[in-house]
Amino acid sequence: MVKKTLMSLLPKIDIQAKALSKEVQLPDARLTILQQVNLTINSGETVAVVGASGSGKSTLLGILAGLDTASSGEVYLAGQPLHQLDDDARAQLRAREVGFVFQSFLLLPSLTALENVTLPAELAGIKDATARGRKLLADVGLTARADFYPSQLSGGEQQRVAIARAFITEPAILFADEPSANLDAATGAKIEDLLFALNEQQGTTLVLVTHNPQLAKRCQRQLNMHAGELSEQQPEVSDVA
Amino acid sequence: MWLNIAARLFWRELRRGELWVIAFALCLAVFTVVSLTGITESVRSALSQRSSNFIAADKILRSSLPFNEEIFRTADTLGLTTAKQMQFSTMVFAGDLMQLVSVKAVSESYPLRGNLLLKTSEQPDATLLKSISAQQVFLEPRLLQLLNIRVGDTLELGVSRFVVAGIIAEEPDAPLSVFGNAPRLLMHVDDVAATQIVQPGSRIGYRYQFAGDSAALKTLELQVKPMLTVHDRWQSLDRESAVGSALDRAEKFLLLAGLLGIVLAACAAAVAASQYSQRHQMAVAVIKALGVTTAMARRIYASHLAMVSVFSIGIGLLLGQLASSGAQWFIEVWLGDYRPEFSVRPLWLGALTGLICATLFSARPIWRLAAVPALNVLRQRGQSFQLDIWQLVTGGLAIWLLMWLFSGDWWLSSWLFLLCLAFAALLLGMAAVLVRVAKPMAAGQSSALKLALANLRRRLWPNSFQLITFSLALFLTLILYFLRAELISQWQQQVPAGAPNQFLVNITETEKPQIIGLLQQNQLKAGDFYPMVSGRVLTVNNETLADPESQNDAERQKGEQQADAAGGGESAKRNMEQTTADNRVKREGIGRELNLTWLTTLPANNDIVAGAWFGTADKAQVSVEEKLAERLALQLGDKIGFSVGGQPFTATVSSFRKVDWNSLQPNFFMILSPDLMQNFPATYLTAFYLPKQQTALLNEMARSFPTISVLSVDNILKQINDIIAQVSLALTVILVLVFAAAVLVLVAQVQATLEQREQELAILRTLGAKTVFLRQAVLAEFAALGLMAGVFATVLAEVLLAVLQMRLFQLPFSLHFNLWWIGPGLGMVLICGLGWLLLRHLLLLPTPVLLRRALS
Ligand SMILES: Nc1ncnc2c1ncn2[C@@H]1O[C@H](COP(=O)(O)OP(=O)(O)O)[C@@H](O)[C@H]1O
Ligand SMILES: [Mg+2]
Repeated sequence: MVKKTLMSLLPKIDIQAKALSKEVQLPDARLTILQQVNLTINSGETVAVVGASGSGKSTLLGILAGLDTASSGEVYLAGQPLHQLDDDARAQLRAREVGFVFQSFLLLPSLTALENVTLPAELAGIKDATARGRKLLADVGLTARADFYPSQLSGGEQQRVAIARAFITEPAILFADEPSANLDAATGAKIEDLLFALNEQQGTTLVLVTHNPQLAKRCQRQLNMHAGELSEQQPEVSDVA
Repeated sequence: MWLNIAARLFWRELRRGELWVIAFALCLAVFTVVSLTGITESVRSALSQRSSNFIAADKILRSSLPFNEEIFRTADTLGLTTAKQMQFSTMVFAGDLMQLVSVKAVSESYPLRGNLLLKTSEQPDATLLKSISAQQVFLEPRLLQLLNIRVGDTLELGVSRFVVAGIIAEEPDAPLSVFGNAPRLLMHVDDVAATQIVQPGSRIGYRYQFAGDSAALKTLELQVKPMLTVHDRWQSLDRESAVGSALDRAEKFLLLAGLLGIVLAACAAAVAASQYSQRHQMAVAVIKALGVTTAMARRIYASHLAMVSVFSIGIGLLLGQLASSGAQWFIEVWLGDYRPEFSVRPLWLGALTGLICATLFSARPIWRLAAVPALNVLRQRGQSFQLDIWQLVTGGLAIWLLMWLFSGDWWLSSWLFLLCLAFAALLLGMAAVLVRVAKPMAAGQSSALKLALANLRRRLWPNSFQLITFSLALFLTLILYFLRAELISQWQQQVPAGAPNQFLVNITETEKPQIIGLLQQNQLKAGDFYPMVSGRVLTVNNETLADPESQNDAERQKGEQQADAAGGGESAKRNMEQTTADNRVKREGIGRELNLTWLTTLPANNDIVAGAWFGTADKAQVSVEEKLAERLALQLGDKIGFSVGGQPFTATVSSFRKVDWNSLQPNFFMILSPDLMQNFPATYLTAFYLPKQQTALLNEMARSFPTISVLSVDNILKQINDIIAQVSLALTVILVLVFAAAVLVLVAQVQATLEQREQELAILRTLGAKTVFLRQAVLAEFAALGLMAGVFATVLAEVLLAVLQMRLFQLPFSLHFNLWWIGPGLGMVLICGLGWLLLRHLLLLPTPVLLRRALS
């Protein structure tokens, strides 16, 4: 009881962005992709980033996950100042704390489904990678496909493998960039269910990029990206409760 | 940890075939270098061993001073076998008859190479001896006739008497031409002193003969150097003889093929590595997003490259060594007495080639691959992996370095390298122009062709690069194909079927019709009859010629007498080289009799290099062979004073001739205008072709015309033919190798575009394009590429062929009409075929599968 109160009083902050801006130099102009983005995401929260295509959602996700760097501003991920870390330190941080699900699945074509799933675990030096991998494949309903190559799997199956891969290291934070955009509605819905189920099970912080408002609704918070500017839609508290 | 992942990925990639193209390219580069170097070395050593048979040793030291035993001891300690030989001319007496003979005195160990066959009687079933013992003399058969004696009879040589022990059936180092030469007498070297023939001032040629492995021979040369005087001279195997020049050209061809093979294999390696990088950038981005650092990614992919390199270099070395051992075995079977020498040079050269290809061609793309940002996982497309300037620079340097190492000839490699570079630049320019020009052309075409041309244009840069490699590959194949054909036909011309293999010398005016008659009776045809008289050159522009130093003179005299008569290309050349080498006095005399002829027409194998051939009205003129003219420091218009049979006359030098000593045709140093010599008694020289089954005719000739000398050049003809067949085969093998390298480059190139094409096809299919239409478009695109590449390759090949023929191979210039349809045709068929083969499965895929593959 006390513990719970403490936690709610002092929520652990997983992701924090302060005055993030991203600009790129084009041949004839300077393009601003992100403008003064401020953001705090607490541990265990599920957050959706919605917005039109080209509004800068993926760019933000890339910076928050330490795949990209901002032009100015500060980012903290799992307590680490990303903007002060170099490429390699960010990679090591990702290996420990971060999982990904991408729009176009991005499985390694030369590895089997199981090997794709266990790869991050091996990179993080986890011992029982194979056992964990098999369990996760069972969780996503692909036990029978463990030794298939990605080219032998359907799109939905590939994305399920990708989800299993994302959870194998039990990451603190999961980033998903339009995970169901390349799939038909029915398959997409299954994938989303799976994602949320595993997320709940592991208590992972989820940052989900989507242009689908229905999907966004399933998250605790919805952030709106518009031309590089982020605004938060206040959720109806009653809904969540 | 990374090692685990690297190993797993490696085996997977290997299974999926991703690494095979790189592996194959590296393997091919190594194989090409090992096999070509190995085969070249084998052919070279086989040939020099063969030539060794013709001098009865591997190396000969000639001297005009008596034997220095110290030199033989040095050779003994080096483990070499040695033999002594003395040569001189003297008179022999038998009863009332006497005859000038050419004596060869040898030790028991003679011959060190090749075969000596001595018959102990004149009967066909006589016992054969393979070496000579003390107190024996053996004679050339015609000497028995000239002295009117038989085996077992006695003859006098100096103050000694010898019983004739038999006749010489085969002498390995017999002069190839004996016109005007005294008949041979073979005796033991230890018996020479007793004859008292050797007096101070006698002209004796001493020969130290050595045989053994080439390293020891080299050491010997160094060790005896301080013991040598101006009277001693190493005899080198003449590389400019008919055989030598065939081999020389073949060697150059192999060298060139090797160089071009290296360029191709290197291109293939570079293309394959770039393609590999291109295809793997998403995978790298993914593992980096999953937490792999750049350094680790680099280690993973570098370890893949290292494993592939070690594997391919190993296989390449093995296969290359097998190929060259196969070639050695072949040569051994063919030549019988060939002693193969194992050499490590091909192996280390091959391994080095593999390493350089792997590091300099593949390392750069892999380095860049590891640098692909993790962020790419969020971008839907990868960046395109074009060649960068670093790869061009390091790759260029590597090619040049390899060419240099392989050829050991920095000039040739730099030259060829710059040429390839210039071609590449030229092609790039042409490709850019052509692809641009194609735009308005496409306007009126069918839609499949329009799509093909649009495709070509859209990928201008990748296509230009592709076009360059296609053209280069075709170009190199064409060059080798045509050079090979050229060389082989050139060699065959040199020794056409039915070329004269028997020479008749010393035919008198009255015997001339009788000989023609005898040959006609046997359905044989005599060649031209060349009149010959012996004469001396006394003066040039009234200045008496210095008598050449007496040392070495017996040797030189012998050589020249052979040489200037006929057929003796080999020894003529050898002697000419020797004599021009010691051109100590400004104008060196010849000091002995020369065979002179007079002709109205220029002989077929002769070319006037200065002045003009005599017209019918020209009187008192002489045409001189160019090397002799050089030695005598002659100018056109100089007056040469001759003496024939004590009668002096003068002739004006009106032309210099280049003589093809390789032609095995009668050749003369000096040809006089017909007016000059008609009053002198002449004998004739002729040549004819005698089929093997008619050899009995030679005995009949010897009986009916005892004074006519017969010289058979069958042996040398057979030798040349063997070698030509052998070398032609080697050339064909190499051509196939280089062609394989070219095809590999093409495959690597087409594969490089496979992924992109897959996506394009998916899009076009979704847009509703029919399979037939897409097939036509793809075929048209490749056909257009192939045709362009073929045309470029043809033009460039024609230019380079002309240069190579004239500069490197000293062959006459000729246009290659076949090239103009073979080149473009081959380009079109080959590239179209390969494109179809590689893309067929894509074109036949059902649309949903294609879509899924393209999007995954
Ligand atoms: N490196 C870059 N160079 C140029 N433009 C970029 C770069 N990165 C992103 N952009 C542009 O920024 C905008 C936002 O991109 P992105 O974050 O991918 O949008 P979203 O994911 O919301 O569709 C797009 O218009 C994109 O073209
Ligand atoms: Mg996006």
